[in-house]
Parts: sequence; C-alpha cells; structure tokens
Amino acid sequence: MSLTRVIERLLQLIPVLLGVSLIVFIMMAFTPGDPVDIMIGDQNVSAEQEAAMRRDLGLDRPIHERYVIFLGNAVQGDFGQSFYHRRPVSEVIVERLPATIELTLVALLIALFTSIPLGVIAAIKKNSWIDRSATVFSLLGVSLPGFWFGILLLMVFAVHFNLLPVSGRISYSNQVEPITHFLLIDTLLRGRLDAFWEALKHILLPAITLGLPMTAILTRVTRTSMLEVLRQDYVTFAEAKGLSRRKVMFRHALKNALIPTVSVAAIETGSLLGGNMIVETVFGWPGLGRLVVESIFVRNYPLVQAAVLFYAVTYVMLNFTADILYTKLNPRVKL
Amino acid sequence: MTTSFKPLRTGRPKFDPNSIFWRNMQTFANNRLALFCAFVVLLFVFISIFAPWIAPHDPNETDLFRRLQPPAWKDGGTWAHVLGCDALGRDILSRIIYGSRVSIFIGAAVILVATTIGTLAGLAAGYLRGWVDTVISRVVDILLAFPYLIFAIGLMAMMGPGLGNIILALAYKEWVIPCRVVRGETLATREQEYVEAARALGASDRHIMLKEILPNILSPVVVVSTIRMAHVIILEASLSFLGLGVQPPTASWGAMVADGRAFILESWWVSTFPGVAILLLVLAINVASQGLRDAFDPRFQQ
Amino acid sequence: MTMFKKAIATSAMLLMTAGASLSAQELRIGFSRDADTLDPANHRNRETQTIIRNIYDGILTRDSSMNIHAEIAESYRQVSPTEYDFVIRQGITFHDGSELTVEDVKFTLERLFKEGAMGNGQTSPRASLLGPMESVEILDDNTLRVHLSEPWPLLPAMLPFQEVVSKAFVERVGTSGMASQVNGAGPFKLVRWNRGESVIMERFDDYYGGAAGIPPVETACVERVIFQVIPESASRVAALLSGDVHIISELPTFSVNQVRNNPNTDVMTVNGTRSFFIAMNNESDLFSDLKVRQAVAHAINKDLIVDRILDGYATSIDGILSPDAFGKNHDLPTYDYDPAKARALLAEAGYPDGIEVTMDVEGAFRDTAEAIASLLTNAGIRTRVAVSEGAILTQKWRTQGGEKSGDLYFSSWGNGSLDPHDIFVPTHRTNDRGNSAGYANPRVDELLDAGAAELDVERRAAIYREAEAIAAADVPYVYLWVPQDIYGVSNRVSGWSPSPDSRINLHNACLN
Repeated sequence: MSLTRVIERLLQLIPVLLGVSLIVFIMMAFTPGDPVDIMIGDQNVSAEQEAAMRRDLGLDRPIHERYVIFLGNAVQGDFGQSFYHRRPVSEVIVERLPATIELTLVALLIALFTSIPLGVIAAIKKNSWIDRSATVFSLLGVSLPGFWFGILLLMVFAVHFNLLPVSGRISYSNQVEPITHFLLIDTLLRGRLDAFWEALKHILLPAITLGLPMTAILTRVTRTSMLEVLRQDYVTFAEAKGLSRRKVMFRHALKNALIPTVSVAAIETGSLLGGNMIVETVFGWPGLGRLVVESIFVRNYPLVQAAVLFYAVTYVMLNFTADILYTKLNPRVKL
Repeated sequence: MTTSFKPLRTGRPKFDPNSIFWRNMQTFANNRLALFCAFVVLLFVFISIFAPWIAPHDPNETDLFRRLQPPAWKDGGTWAHVLGCDALGRDILSRIIYGSRVSIFIGAAVILVATTIGTLAGLAAGYLRGWVDTVISRVVDILLAFPYLIFAIGLMAMMGPGLGNIILALAYKEWVIPCRVVRGETLATREQEYVEAARALGASDRHIMLKEILPNILSPVVVVSTIRMAHVIILEASLSFLGLGVQPPTASWGAMVADGRAFILESWWVSTFPGVAILLLVLAINVASQGLRDAFDPRFQQ
Repeated sequence: MTMFKKAIATSAMLLMTAGASLSAQELRIGFSRDADTLDPANHRNRETQTIIRNIYDGILTRDSSMNIHAEIAESYRQVSPTEYDFVIRQGITFHDGSELTVEDVKFTLERLFKEGAMGNGQTSPRASLLGPMESVEILDDNTLRVHLSEPWPLLPAMLPFQEVVSKAFVERVGTSGMASQVNGAGPFKLVRWNRGESVIMERFDDYYGGAAGIPPVETACVERVIFQVIPESASRVAALLSGDVHIISELPTFSVNQVRNNPNTDVMTVNGTRSFFIAMNNESDLFSDLKVRQAVAHAINKDLIVDRILDGYATSIDGILSPDAFGKNHDLPTYDYDPAKARALLAEAGYPDGIEVTMDVEGAFRDTAEAIASLLTNAGIRTRVAVSEGAILTQKWRTQGGEKSGDLYFSSWGNGSLDPHDIFVPTHRTNDRGNSAGYANPRVDELLDAGAAELDVERRAAIYREAEAIAAADVPYVYLWVPQDIYGVSNRVSGWSPSPDSRINLHNACLN
C-alpha cells in the first residue's frame, strides 16, 4: 500500500470524527436530564450552590459555545473532566481500556481458534455430520441473545458446578504488579503460572459469551471460502501433481481461504469492542462498555463524548487494518 | 415525450417471476430444514396475531399471591399456569405469547423502515454518483463508526421510552446496511445495456432507478433484510435488557429475560422461557433466511 | 518423639496456621458499585462515601444505632446558635506517619465549604452538605471554632459525612492526585484501587482506635479488606453463596431465603432511611381536590405490597418521616385500604366513573409500581405505568415552582441523617427542590422554617410533629414505606452489623 493511500485514509478520519462528535453533542444536548440534578440527589441545596456546581462543570454556557470549546480542547488532546470522577476523562477511559481490550482479544482468539478449524473441516468433509454440526453451531451462535447466554453460563459453571468464578478479573491473592495491565500477560511476565490460570478462569465465561456470535460468523465465512478455494484449478492441479492432500490443504488452499476470514475478523472486532457492555454488566467485568452506558444514564457528557470518539477511531483503524491484511495476503488485490 | 416505456421493457432481461423466481423458490422448497423454519416463523406470526385467542390468561393480570409460582411440573406449580408466573404473578406463557407481538412487530417495522430508506439512499448514491454519493457515503461512514448499541441507547435516552422510539432508535443505523448493498449492486447495474438503453431514450433518473434498476437488485436486499431482522430482534431484547424497552405492562421477551435475571438463582423459569422464545424465533428466521439466500443469491448456488 | 517426627509436626502446624491466617484475614465485600474517586471532598455519591469512610475518619461519626460520637474530635459543644467548638484528639497519625493537627481539620472543612477551594476555581460538590458554614477559627493547639452564618442545628448530624484529610498531603498531590492517592487517618490504608473492579485496603497498624464511645478502641480486626464490585445482584448472591465474598450489600428480598437456608451464610437487616411515596400533582385539576387524593390513599394496600413484593422487609409509614427519625409523629391517621371508600370519594369529587391517570416510575421500581397500578385500577383509578430514566423524571417532577405536568410519581427520598430537615423541607416546603407533589401550605412552610432554627430539642420535635400531622391531613403524597437495608453475611464474620445510614464500617469486623 502506498504512502499516499495511507495518508488519504487518515485524512478520511477527519470528517468521520467531526461528524461523530457533532452527533453525540447534539444528542446529549437534546437529552432531557441534568447532571447537576442527578449529582445533588436527595439533598437540600440552595439555588446559588446549585448554580455554582453548574458553573464548575461548564454547563452554564450555551450549547454551541460548549461544542466549540470541546473541539478546541480535543484537538490538543484534552477531552475535559468527567463530571463524577472529577478527573480527565481520557484518564478514566484509559484505566478501563486494558480490561475491555483483553476481553475483546481473548474473545477474538477463541473465535479464530474455533472457527477456522471448524470451518475448514466442515468444508473438506462437506455434508458430513461435522459439517452439519458446524452449521447448527453457527446458526445457534448468531441466534442466542448474548445476555441470556451469559446468564446461563454463569448459572451452570459458576453457581451450579462452582468451577469458574462469578465476576471480576482476578482474585486478590493472585494479583501481580501491573506491567502491561493485561492480566494474562502480566501474570506470565511475573512468572506466576497460578495467577495466570486464575486470570484465565475469570476471563473464560465472558470471552466465550462475547465471542460466540463472531465464532459463528467466522465459521461460515471460512467454510464458504474454503469450499470456493477447493474448487479452484490450482488445487486440483496440485493434487494431480501428486502432492499429498494434506499438504495441498494446508500449504495452498488454507492460505487463500483465510483471506476473507481474516478481513471479516478485523471488521467484526470493531463491533465486538463496541458491543461488550452487556457482557461486562452480566459478568461484572470492569471495562469501558459498562462505564459508557452508566455515563449515558447519569449524563456524564464529556466521558460519553470521548468514549464514542475512541470507538470511532478504533472502528476506522480496524477497517484500515482489514484492507491492509487483505492486500498483504492476496497480492492480486491492488487497493 | 408521450410514449410509454412499457414496450421497451421487453428488450432486457426482465424480472420474470415465472422463471427465475419460481426456480429459486423451488430450490428453497427443496431445503426441508429452511422450509420447516419458515413455517416456524409463520407460526410465530400467527401466534402474535391471534394472541388474544391463544393465550390462556390476560398477560397483565397480576396476582401477588401467585408471585414466582413455578411451572406446572414442579412442586407448587399448577396446570393453569403451565410455565409458572413472574414476580407480579402474571402468567409467563401468556406473556410470552403476547410478547411475540412486540418482537415481531419491532423486527418487521425496523426492517421495513430501514430497508426503504436504505434502498432509496443506496439507489441515489449508486446511480447519481457525484455529490449525492459523497454525502450519503460520508453519512454511512459516520454512522458505521458508532457502536450500534451505544447509539441506540443514546437515542432512547434522548427520545424516551416507547414502541415508536425503539423502532426509530434501531432503524436510525440499520438502514446503512441495505444502503451499502444497494449502492454496490446499483454501481454494477447502472452500466448494463438495458439501463443505458433507457437512458438513451430519455427516461428520467427516477424512472430508471425505481423501474429499471430496483427490480433487478431486489433479491439480495430481501435476503439481507431477513437476516438483519433476526439481528434486530436480538437488539430490541438487548435494549429491553438495559431497561430501555417498551412501556409496561406490555410484555416484551427482552424485558422478561432482564426482569427475571434477578431471580435466576431461585426462580429460573422467569427468565429462561422467554429466552428460549427469543432463541427459537431468531434461529428460525436465520435458518429460513439462509435458505432464501442459498436459493436466491447466485454466488451461493452450486 | 524423634527429631524427624517433630519436624513434620511443627511444619504441619506452621502450614496449617499459615493457611488459616492467610484466608482468615481477608474480608471481602461484594458491593454494587465502584467508587467514583477516592477524594473525600470531590464526589456526591453514597457508595463512594461508604468505601472512602473505611480509609478516612471524620470529625464525628455514628454507631450502628445512629448515635453521634466524637471520632477525630475528642469532644464538641455548641457555644452559641451559630458557633460550635471542637476539641481535636491528640496523637492521631495519618497513614504516612505524620501527625494530625487542628490545622488539618481546619483545612479539611475549608476545602469543603469555601468557594474555589478545590483549585482551578472549582468548589467542592459537597459544599452544600455543610449548610451555612462561614468560617473556621483555631482557638488553640487542639481547639477549633466553627462559625455559621445562621443557626443550623444539623451540623453534628451532617459532620459524619465528611472525612479529615492531611493538609500537607493535599498540597503536595493536589486535587487531581487526591482522586487516587490516599493519606487518611482511618482504620485501613489503601493498597490498590483496580478501577471498576475492586478497592483493596490493609489494616493501619498505628490507628488511634476510632471513636472513644464505640468500643473496642483499637486497630482493625482483619488484616485486609477488599470491596469487590459486583453490579449484578444475582452475581452478588452467587459470590456470597460460593464463599467468594463475606458480606454483600443490597441483597434482594427474594434471595433472602436462599441465603438464610445456606448453612454458611445469614441475613442481616437494618431499618433503612429512605421513605417511599407517591407524589400526586397537587397543581393539576384532578389532584388539587383533597377527595381525589384521599381516594388514592385508600386504594393502595400497603400491607399487601410490603408483604408480597418486599417480603415483609419494610415498615409502612403514614407520614414522610421514618419511624426512627427525630421528631416523628407516631399518632398520624392511617388511610386504610378500602377500595369501596375510594370509589365513593371519587364519586363525591365528581368522578362517578372513576379517573384515568399515568404513574411515572424509574425502571428499578417498575414491579412495585405495576402492582400499585393494578390496586388503583381496581378502585376506579385506572392507572398506566410509564417507565422513564431517573434523570428525566426528576426534571419533570422536581420543578421547584415551574410548571408541572403528570399525575402520579412513584418516588422516594433518602434521609441518611434521620433528621427531618433533610427530608421534610425538600419534599414539603413550597417550591423546594424535592417537592414533586407541588405541595404548598404556608403553615407547613412556617413550621419547617422554625424547625430549622429551633435549638431546643423538645420544641423542635414538637414543631415537626405538628407539621407531619398537617401534611398527613392534606395528603399531598401517599406515604408508603421505609424499606429495610438487607445484607447477606457469611457466618465467619463477627463484630459487624449494618448501619441505617448504609455505611459499611469494617473497623471492628472480624473473620473467624
């Protein structure tokens, strides 16, 4: 991919981000409810004190002025203060990111490592019982409502069999000094295998719940593209040349069949990242999604604003990555 | 110009229900599983339409003395309330039956609204190109960059709860998907001979888009829409789960699962049965629409 | 005994004790929500307060029976209606080892109530909790005088909500640093705060022992305390049952039996301080009629709902005040459940065919509201329940004199201090913040103003009793109940009991 193409892609980010920020701002402006009111709650407060709180949050200014101030600050990397945490929102968001990203990545890994073998086998053994089960599985995967599935898993594995923990990322006794803030990596870096095992047990149920629809989609994509590749001339040719079937499958067919899988995976990761608030709620996972939903309910405008921008940037970047992967894996495609 | 375009239409590969459509339908009908699932979907539609005659009880009739009554086959259950009762003593089976109305209505309405908007926007963008395309594509980019659920939650917070608002909140972004499909198909179709011919004869853009191109690209749109309908039903349930669903006492599957999850440890039936209902309907729609896709989309025909 | 055997026995014993002490010393709380910040002056959140209060101590505190005790103060007294003296205890150290002085207390209070004291022109969001506090004066090495701009008998009741910080520390780390760094004088010091997940604290070994009036006065019993954030109530219960945590807050009533039947866990309850009620829009044509309001009151079977939906874990009320509150009138008239009478009253008011109304409610109380709606409907008040977000409903109903729309509003008001001033004034004084009913009675206003300034305890109580009687006759609200706070507690926990102000004070809690 040429440099100009990269720059062009980055420039395309600007109108998207402007549009996203404007829409969020307008939505917030027209949403009834007042953060100061929520904050005061059931207390007896004088009108002057209420006005002072509003002034402190910058809510006394008209909406268009607030947008301009926000844009001006955002360009300099300042997204404002969270009304409730009373700290820069960027700080609050960054604290929650590792948990969300770790969960998303594990879900992605589970999805890739389940769907690719399943899809490939289903294609090779077309119409066998494996193929049929893969189809049933992928249909179930996109049909299960995530929150319900999560609760079911919780019931069975955490409550009934008491095999896995109910919520959180790790128990205290196994906590390690953070390096990357990704617990699965930190525990390994610190050489704490027991802690790693614990962290893995904590992340398993939420990651399965989150990754299930994606696993289902990727299984189908892999199966379809594998079927297509298997029909290609070069596969037949290679087989005719006397190469073992296994070699043909893994050297040639698989590599080409995975192109759509990988690019779909990159794009779907965006929706995985933006869609985990429900899983985070069910499993008490301390991630960003839950924070954003809570922030919408308490009208924590700056945090919602910054988080949505973050999601938008990630989405665009992931699409970009998908494109690059597509080109890299498939030299025939020129972007 | 006074001549009608009618006679001209014979000159191009026409949308002919008697050949392609029926052949496709036959392919679909041969897929027994898909056919069965289509029947299941129809059954759900039937149940939702005739809910008042099918439901054994008034879904909103509360009786606190039946609070969390277990299903019939468990101790303390009665055959009058086969699937048990919820926290207010309402009959769960009746609420599931009435709840199908919300899920199906919202699913269908959202898809209808979204497909209409998306198809028109996609046609305009793909056929007219130029600034129309730029504007529509930009809007699509922006909306795609929003996480779906967060966008819907924000809209619901802004507009307040209610059936109409849920449909709006979900359709707001949903139209983007048919829009992209239609735009791509239109781009491919606009250079084809019959379109060129119509243009050469001075047909209006509107006529070409709606009468010439649209009928030819309809089947991928229909296929995508049915698959998305399953998705929308889950989204509605998710919104209800987060407390942003339809107003009480209307029964909604998502809200039933959400309300019941607090009792999951001791009264599992409250949220399990509506969960199963969502699963069945969505699964049936998915299988049926996949059958449709296999039958109608040439790329999947072998 | 051979050397070998001895060695084995010793090591086995060592292992056992090590194992036991390891698990016995860590008390884990399953809590519904994370702290917003760890800065005691920079939040307006009850749960945040609950967590922080174990790390920081206040000038005054309350025991679990809600009596006020001097904590960091040794004693206090009222000098005049607008002046209070506090004698600060000597020999208290902060977690960093520095000594707590009268300067720190002065600084703490000023940081809270002075405009712009938080830095960057910001004022503490808790300023309003200190009412008319005007200035703080140091009299000598250990005495402090607080000046109020007007009489405010509530000061001792409100001070337990504020925690003492170290002046030097705040000046060093700044308000931004205070959000996550802690140097308190409380029984536990902060180890780590995993945002959104847990707050981990360790016993502070140089703790002065806490309030002299609340024995035992010594360092905390457990070595470590963890507030584990578990927002889902079902998950919280599961965590308690599986032994992951030892105390859980907000145990749902329907899980009570399960927790009680588990051999390792039990249920503890305490009368809460939040009064639930239905606000009727007194400004509307319909509910400006006393008879219609009485009809609504007669149509609701409080006992049934308390019994069936709240599983008995609530006390019904006939006035706004909790039965435990100061100045509660215990002789209020009761509006018996009598649907026939409700219909008759409606007919008298000119609605022989009943009325049609909407009841607003937040999602969390939807069940209860629907049950009430069906009772109302049975009595001819055909009620539709409309669920909205809290943020929207407060704006709609708490109009402070502005135009009000709507019919009924199922709502509540908390009263952590159990002093009538905090709940009676906002909900009943004309156009006050929480007066969602739009109630306006000059006599009640007069009494409430008098109560705020009256220093004689008996006379003050009499004032509120009269006000409550008037309000009960006017029925601007249907007063419903005060629910109990329910906690699930492991049998291994001792020395802890829940507190009506929803504090979870772990100073004396032990784990066996």
